[in-house]
Amino acid sequence: MMPFLVTNQPIIDFFLISLGIAFAQQIVFRAGVFSVATAGIVALGAYGSAILVTRFGLSGLPAVLLAGGIGLLAGLLLSVPLARLRGVYQAIATLAFVEIVINALYYFEPLTGGALGLSGIPKLVTTWHLLLVVGLTCWLLFAIGRSGVGRAFDALRQDETVGASLGVSIRFYHTLAFALAGLVGGVFGGMKSLYTYAISPEQFGFAFVVSILTAVVLGGRATLLGPVLGALLLALLPEIARPLAENRLMVHGLIMIVVMIFLPHGLGDSLMHALTKRRMRRARQAPEVPNGSA
Amino acid sequence: MALLELRNVSKHFGGVKAITDVNLQVPSGRITGLIGPNGAGKSTVVNLITGMFALSGGTILLDGTQIEKDGPDVVVRRGIARTFQNIRLLAEASVLANVMIGFHRLETVPVWSELLGLPASRRQTRQLEERGRALLDRFGIAQFADYPAGALAYGHQRRVEMARAVASDPAILLLDEPVAGMNDVEAGELGEVFRSLAASGMGLLLIEHNVRFVTSMCEEVNVLDTGKIIASGSAQEVMRSPAVIDAYLGSAEETA
Repeated sequence: MMPFLVTNQPIIDFFLISLGIAFAQQIVFRAGVFSVATAGIVALGAYGSAILVTRFGLSGLPAVLLAGGIGLLAGLLLSVPLARLRGVYQAIATLAFVEIVINALYYFEPLTGGALGLSGIPKLVTTWHLLLVVGLTCWLLFAIGRSGVGRAFDALRQDETVGASLGVSIRFYHTLAFALAGLVGGVFGGMKSLYTYAISPEQFGFAFVVSILTAVVLGGRATLLGPVLGALLLALLPEIARPLAENRLMVHGLIMIVVMIFLPHGLGDSLMHALTKRRMRRARQAPEVPNGSA
Repeated sequence: MALLELRNVSKHFGGVKAITDVNLQVPSGRITGLIGPNGAGKSTVVNLITGMFALSGGTILLDGTQIEKDGPDVVVRRGIARTFQNIRLLAEASVLANVMIGFHRLETVPVWSELLGLPASRRQTRQLEERGRALLDRFGIAQFADYPAGALAYGHQRRVEMARAVASDPAILLLDEPVAGMNDVEAGELGEVFRSLAASGMGLLLIEHNVRFVTSMCEEVNVLDTGKIIASGSAQEVMRSPAVIDAYLGSAEETA
């Protein structure tokens, strides 16, 4: 076990960071918000912690916590104009947010290093730190899933009008989702830069947006298992497809299309769904199939 | 004691006058009927009461408090629940999960405690699960609790929707064509549920165009036609009113 962990440590760490970011994305999806802002929030967290450590001499823990604060604040601010938008318009507006963040990173060169980015960031984050924070995030998502917050999120995702007609405040729960996703995204952004020595704006561009969405959509939008499988696949894919070298992205796209066609709910959700169905079939002693059962 | 009261309520969509000067009272402990031909504005009345639409004029009072400026979620928290004319269940979610969302207004555990996953949050979820199953039992659909709501037969979906509305323990329940598409036996069974809800003190507004069902259920019936109340009173009085025969029953026979 140990040798496996040592030789594959970079992959494991990459997996854990991707997983945390995918969890952040899943929170907004769960509440029915079609936001792709996570990439921008992660970028803010990453630059935040890197600048705090390199320029202001903060140590790792306060820098990461502040990065979470920056993410949370960005999420809250973002939720104000987005409250009036729905669906594809939210996607477009949040994509614009990512563009704004990246352009700001180029523009404020004295602080952000411009196109070259920041380098020489001390590596303060270890696998254990990542595991701990992923664990805490899992607990948060698990707690949401078993609580009234999760029920409210699920109701809004499936039918906003029905949710409101049952007393669920759309505004409150959408804001809450943005804030939580901002917090988680900011923290993992902060840890990402304190892990990778150097960051630059183009790391957080469109390719990053796509990879975050891929992790959640491939894995599953509703279950905790979803992002785990999605991020795992994304971490392993480059290794599996290594012989294909430059054609790797093509394989990437191909897998995405195949999964979307055959498992539209994603790997994790489809698996959990199949398990639930099997459990119900077994639990049913006297067959009581409702009419018109699909 | 009138609980819900509409005073001179109007709603215009651009130049179209959907609802004009409607006065309506829904007292507690009784089933009040609202009938009218298709397009009379019955569902618009529900949407106005529940804050889905903004009023163009008039006022809506719940126990003397003006509520016409409240959004849908606030109206529910004040104690008014509704069902939809076209059933709107969360089709992917289980029947039990659908009903549990109905409990939203009764949840007492603060959000931060839920986010931290404290025991109180889980305790509340367990309690609501039990209450949800009990409620489903009352509506005769307990055996479907764990099925996806979308997989149920039409009549059962109607019951799920009603159980969900009742879950919020409302003072006033607005039923938008609850027995549409049901046969007489099914409608009769639901009628019994409505009577027991009214007997427990709830005020029901029954919106239908099944005249026979409404007259058998309600002491007080209001007739809406082209956005106006054209008659109010006991079922017998209303049915004898020339305006009603002319506007509603008459035209129904002509088109039949």
